[in-house]
Amino acid sequence: MKQIKYIALLALGMCVSSCGEDFLDPAPTSAISGVEYYTTEDQLQTAVVNMYDGIQGINVLTDTDSDLNHAIQVEFYLTEMRSDNTRTKSSEGEAAQFENYSLQATNGIVSDYYTSYYNIIFRANTVLENIDVASVETAPKFEGEAKFVRAYANFNLVRLFGDIPLVDHLIGIADIETQFTRVPTADVYELIISDLQRAIETLDNSHINRGSKAAAQALLAKVYLTLGTNYVDAQILCESIMTSGYGLEEDFKDVFYNESNDEVIFSIGYLSDTTYDSQNFSAEWLNAVGRTSGVNYVTTEARAALDAQGGNRTAYSYRQDAVQPSQYQVAKYLPDGDEDLGILPTAGDPRSAGNDWIVIRYADVLLMHVEAVMGANSSTSAQIALDSFEEIRLRAGLLADDDNTITKQELLEERRVEFAFENQRFFDLIRLGAAQEVLSSFSNDNGYGFSATDLLLPIPQKEINLSNGVLTQNPGY
Amino acid sequence: MNLKIKLALFVMLFAFVSVYAQDSYTLKGTVVSKADNLPFPGVNVIIKETSRGTSTDFDGNFEVKVVKGDVIQISYIGYITQTVIVNNQKEITISLIEDENKLEEVVIVGYGTQRKSHLTGAISKVVNEDLDQIAASRVDDALVGQVSGVNIQATEGEAGSAPTIRIRGTGSISGNSSPLIVVDGLAVDSDFLGSLDMNDVQSFEVLKDAASSAIYGSRGANGVIMITTKQGKEGKTKFNYNTYIGFKEARQSESYTFSVAETARAEMAATGTLSDRTRYKQLIGVDNNWQDIIFDGGIIESHSFSARGGSQRTKFSTAFNYVHDEGVLLTDDYKKYNLKLKIDSELNDRLSFGVNVSPSYTNRRRFDGSTHDILRQPSWLPVYHDDNTIQYVDRDVYPNVQVGDYAVQTHFDNYDLYGDGSSIVDINSTSNTNPAAKVLEKDRNDYKFKIFGSFYGKYKVTDNINFRASLSGDFQNTKQDRWQGVLSNRNGASAAKLETSSLNKIHIATDNYFSYDKVFGKHDVSAVVGFAAEKWNTSSESITGTGYDSDLIQTISAATVISEGTSIEYEQRLMSFFGRVNYAFDDKYLLSFSLRRDGFSVFGPDNKYGNFPAASVGWIVTNEDFMQEVDIVNNLKFRFSYGVTGNPLLDTGNDLIDNYPYLALLNSTTAVIDGAATSGFNPINIANPDLKWERSVEINPGIDFGFFNNVVSGSVDYYKRTSDQLLLYNPISSTTGFSNALVNLGEVENSGLEIEFRTRNISNEKFKWTTTLLASKNKNELVDFADSNGLIQNVDDKRAAEWINLQGQPISSFYGWVVDKDIPLEYIANPYHPIGGEAQDVYVKDLNGDGVIDDDDKTILGNPYPDLVWSFTNDFKIGNVDFSFMFQGSHGAEIRNMGDQYIFNQFNSSQDFIASTPNQEFIKQKIFTDDIVQDASYIALRNVNIGYNFSSDLLAKIGAFSKARIYASGQNLLYFTADDYTGFNPESVDSTSPTTYGYQRAGSPIFRTITLGLNLEF
Repeated sequence: MKQIKYIALLALGMCVSSCGEDFLDPAPTSAISGVEYYTTEDQLQTAVVNMYDGIQGINVLTDTDSDLNHAIQVEFYLTEMRSDNTRTKSSEGEAAQFENYSLQATNGIVSDYYTSYYNIIFRANTVLENIDVASVETAPKFEGEAKFVRAYANFNLVRLFGDIPLVDHLIGIADIETQFTRVPTADVYELIISDLQRAIETLDNSHINRGSKAAAQALLAKVYLTLGTNYVDAQILCESIMTSGYGLEEDFKDVFYNESNDEVIFSIGYLSDTTYDSQNFSAEWLNAVGRTSGVNYVTTEARAALDAQGGNRTAYSYRQDAVQPSQYQVAKYLPDGDEDLGILPTAGDPRSAGNDWIVIRYADVLLMHVEAVMGANSSTSAQIALDSFEEIRLRAGLLADDDNTITKQELLEERRVEFAFENQRFFDLIRLGAAQEVLSSFSNDNGYGFSATDLLLPIPQKEINLSNGVLTQNPGY
Repeated sequence: MNLKIKLALFVMLFAFVSVYAQDSYTLKGTVVSKADNLPFPGVNVIIKETSRGTSTDFDGNFEVKVVKGDVIQISYIGYITQTVIVNNQKEITISLIEDENKLEEVVIVGYGTQRKSHLTGAISKVVNEDLDQIAASRVDDALVGQVSGVNIQATEGEAGSAPTIRIRGTGSISGNSSPLIVVDGLAVDSDFLGSLDMNDVQSFEVLKDAASSAIYGSRGANGVIMITTKQGKEGKTKFNYNTYIGFKEARQSESYTFSVAETARAEMAATGTLSDRTRYKQLIGVDNNWQDIIFDGGIIESHSFSARGGSQRTKFSTAFNYVHDEGVLLTDDYKKYNLKLKIDSELNDRLSFGVNVSPSYTNRRRFDGSTHDILRQPSWLPVYHDDNTIQYVDRDVYPNVQVGDYAVQTHFDNYDLYGDGSSIVDINSTSNTNPAAKVLEKDRNDYKFKIFGSFYGKYKVTDNINFRASLSGDFQNTKQDRWQGVLSNRNGASAAKLETSSLNKIHIATDNYFSYDKVFGKHDVSAVVGFAAEKWNTSSESITGTGYDSDLIQTISAATVISEGTSIEYEQRLMSFFGRVNYAFDDKYLLSFSLRRDGFSVFGPDNKYGNFPAASVGWIVTNEDFMQEVDIVNNLKFRFSYGVTGNPLLDTGNDLIDNYPYLALLNSTTAVIDGAATSGFNPINIANPDLKWERSVEINPGIDFGFFNNVVSGSVDYYKRTSDQLLLYNPISSTTGFSNALVNLGEVENSGLEIEFRTRNISNEKFKWTTTLLASKNKNELVDFADSNGLIQNVDDKRAAEWINLQGQPISSFYGWVVDKDIPLEYIANPYHPIGGEAQDVYVKDLNGDGVIDDDDKTILGNPYPDLVWSFTNDFKIGNVDFSFMFQGSHGAEIRNMGDQYIFNQFNSSQDFIASTPNQEFIKQKIFTDDIVQDASYIALRNVNIGYNFSSDLLAKIGAFSKARIYASGQNLLYFTADDYTGFNPESVDSTSPTTYGYQRAGSPIFRTITLGLNLEF
């Protein structure tokens, strides 16, 4: 009978060790939990940082899960590759839908971007919703940053998709109305403008990887130019930035390869060879260095423009593909360097590149200044506009404008070569009223199928399906 | 289990081996069967309380050394054990009587056993008679065709890779549909099927219906496979050495066999001339069948050594097993080492205990490539340059390429065919590196070390009540290394990379239960009530090194850049209470109830616990008085069962959400602020505190029958399993900030019919012939898919062939356009290049007749689930020779063979139609059509086995062995596929996601194996 004691003890021991109150509630150790997490300013700070993590996006390499948000890392598909600047190398798969204007509502990249940018808005709203836990001094700054980020995301969404659901607070699964009601662009712009105005009030210019006053001003200027209703304020905003200590880099190459220079107003930071802070778009643009066989390859048209008007910018804008000499690659943001161009590799593994993505740089402010002065006219000869324009031309090693008149066409061309492959071209074409003409002829020359409805992206099919038909699709899809 | 106990056990083990001497003499005996008075071979004869013993020879005779007073025990399974006290007899004759009770098979049912005749659920038992003679490195591979309702599919085909096992169809959409695996009472990871030793397996019990599996409650919804390992038997220690060696060869696809010569002939016949490209290809002088190169065949060998035996009180079983499977693919390889020790001991009449320890180590080298990528390489491309091919290298671009280097297609660019510059020929279709280099220059290994251990104590409280407590656990360490060498990628050293990861899993479980068994009068009652608790701790880390200059040192330390470091840990806990009552009245009326209550850490406070009840009834008609006159029917039983089971596992792709879905989780994130990584926290899910188990409710009426003295026997089962409140990671509007949320939604129904039919065609001493036919039909239907109904999905954004998840259809169906006709050759731009080239496009049908081909013309093109799976087995025994074969087949499934598109046209637009092609608006890419949806049915000669058992006379002359057998066996010696199937393995599936099931990208081949084996017992 002795043994039974041991067995009884054993059984008892197991019971005691396992039947404790919280046996079925093990706490997660690799994550934190709790709806009530944001209770201190430091904790709110983590939500502020999280917004920029949202824009930064996930490097495709770290996970192939299609649910992850790649955010700005896939933006070039939706912008450059829908313009006459770039295309895929081998016209393969859903990436090719952008260049040949055959986009389907089921396109995964469009859905990825839509999801990413609403997720950024969610992150910004999380900050705004919990703003009360910050001190009186910090709260306005956090608020300004969150509103800047929210405006930035809404501005991209509204330009790409047209009328969109407007989410100005945290919403739950049950809030079907907000999720599936497409708000007119005018109302979206109203929120964007008020968000940016608040950001301008509260922010200063102490950061370039976080929202700043100048960044909010530049964005607001572009909003005004896009709306075409308030050129005066756009000009004032640009001029305010022009006296805020920013300036052009002397050497065009340094804009991209000497990061955080004085020309950068707002950029998304990346660190090479890190898992969660690196980017892979730089690698995707190179033949088989990334996961794709090469996307964002330079079109003949873009090369012609750069060869003609690029000046010293051309060499740092595109280069020949060493593996396939008939193809040309973007030379901005190169991850693995280029000996001939004197560019050092930025990363050991090119697919975990550290090249920052510049969202707003000073050159853009100068050319927006020209655009604001020109206003609704088709040209300008105003000296202040000529000065701003000349600054850009001189840096490029070109002569100043020879006839003292800048036409809209010249401005568009200048912007094209200055900001080649910086996701500006598509918006420039629309803003400056040239999209229909330029893209039609580009499409005809290349046998693509452009039509006017291609200027807006399709609302992702998944959202339409979930809305049970409430959410309407853009025409042409 | 502590060291002391182990030591004690070892000491005991040795004690039994010791022999003591006394005045002894040789007793001769004969054993006959009472029924027919014929000699009884193979009967165990043991001197009680010693380790001495023997068994009867072929004529029923035995000799054993005895002393006066010894008690001889004569036993044979299914017969009443007899004892004889030695009283100076010189010769004895014993007649053994069949034990009506014991002859009956006993079936393991989870926390206990049950007489087979009293079963009221659908449980199939497979005793390992010759499964260990099938040359398979995993035990599940050998189970194919053995049980009705169980479909085991070689979806991967690499050496050591796990097959897909489905019991009665797929019931879960985003959860797991694999059955629960229970080894010697412990629920283990299905991965254990890859480390067990088949030689050590006694039997498999498959709990198929919910009433049977409900005793495993929340984990029972996909059925349960219970594996019992061999136990020592009382008597002389038996040593076994089992070995085999098998030769494996891949089944090739004729459609994927190309040749330069063939293409040239076709081109010449069609056009009367050869293009410059074809002429150039002929000059290179190489004509490879890439299948020969990557399907290099292999050898599988197994050595298993065991010792089993014991005294009346203590029994032990120990075994060592080594298997080496070279696989049929280039580089794939699997080695398995397995050690096992199992001891059961009765300390006294009431108390017994046992230990079971089994460490194993496996090393699996993977085929780190994809067959479709290799097989789409042209025949003219050599693996390495030789003296002939080197002269075609484009020296302007590749000045350094030498004989012996890997050949790359672009090496052959810009060839001046006529030497006068009139024709500069390019024949490359990719600038990728040589396909063989892509595999050979990589080294990807999975190393797994596992220990399985359990300790139990059993106490007989009264004659009818037993208490059993056990503490068991398993530990797994998996290390994965993936080296991509300098030559494996066209980008050379800059792409060299080492990915390494490790995973540790600790699982501890305790089961404690009382059991009660009593027969009084016509009542037979058995009951179990118990408590169990389990926990799993998992942690994993991974890291990547890049920036290698060479292949010389393949470690993380040798990398210049270390990145992608991740780590995660999580925990799951389960607490359960369970009970079961089986009742039989007069061996006629059977009744069974069970209930399990599981509490699981994954679910929120309000839904931690779930109840899983089951009930079943049976009526043994043949035990009724009125049936006693009916001689032809000797067994007829009607059964009906009902049960509720659960499925708790989540698969959202995020381990944290999978383990803590009821909590709002924040993961750490970083953003780069002012050049430095700055940390933040990111909400990663929408918490769902109401989440609960997927629930399956199953009904199962069945009949067991036996006619003509069981010459014909079998069973028929119908089942209908409805799985609802499925754990879906349901898509939600992205405007919420999230794309998906976990919910309990949706319903899937599997219904079907299973037949097991066995006949004893001839049965006498000299010749035995039995036949077994198993067949199962299953119908899978998505009944409710909530917001996702009609969801159209693809596996690969770039090659976006579509699947639809539509209510009223199976979970996933192939979706797309219907082929109308091929584009005539005259409209194809480059019909003879690349080799084997076919158009990637085809005319499709305008189903709704509106003159436009659009989404409205798409339709369901088939589904990947078989309707009928069957096997047909015959066993013959003629004297000392036995022979068996099994045909096995599957019908009604389709597969989307993307391999065709890769191999026949490489997604190459150069094969597109020319501008003058008529009706271009009706042309679509083949991948979006039923052109590549193929019939995946097959009929295979799965196993053939012919063996010879050496007669005991002969063995007695040799003296060393008590049993010896040699055999030859073959697997898949015949394998027939449907006419329209072009690949080499209709079972192969590349994406196993339930909603996009049946995607095959060429896959890996079926192989045939010819094996020679030897079993020795001494």
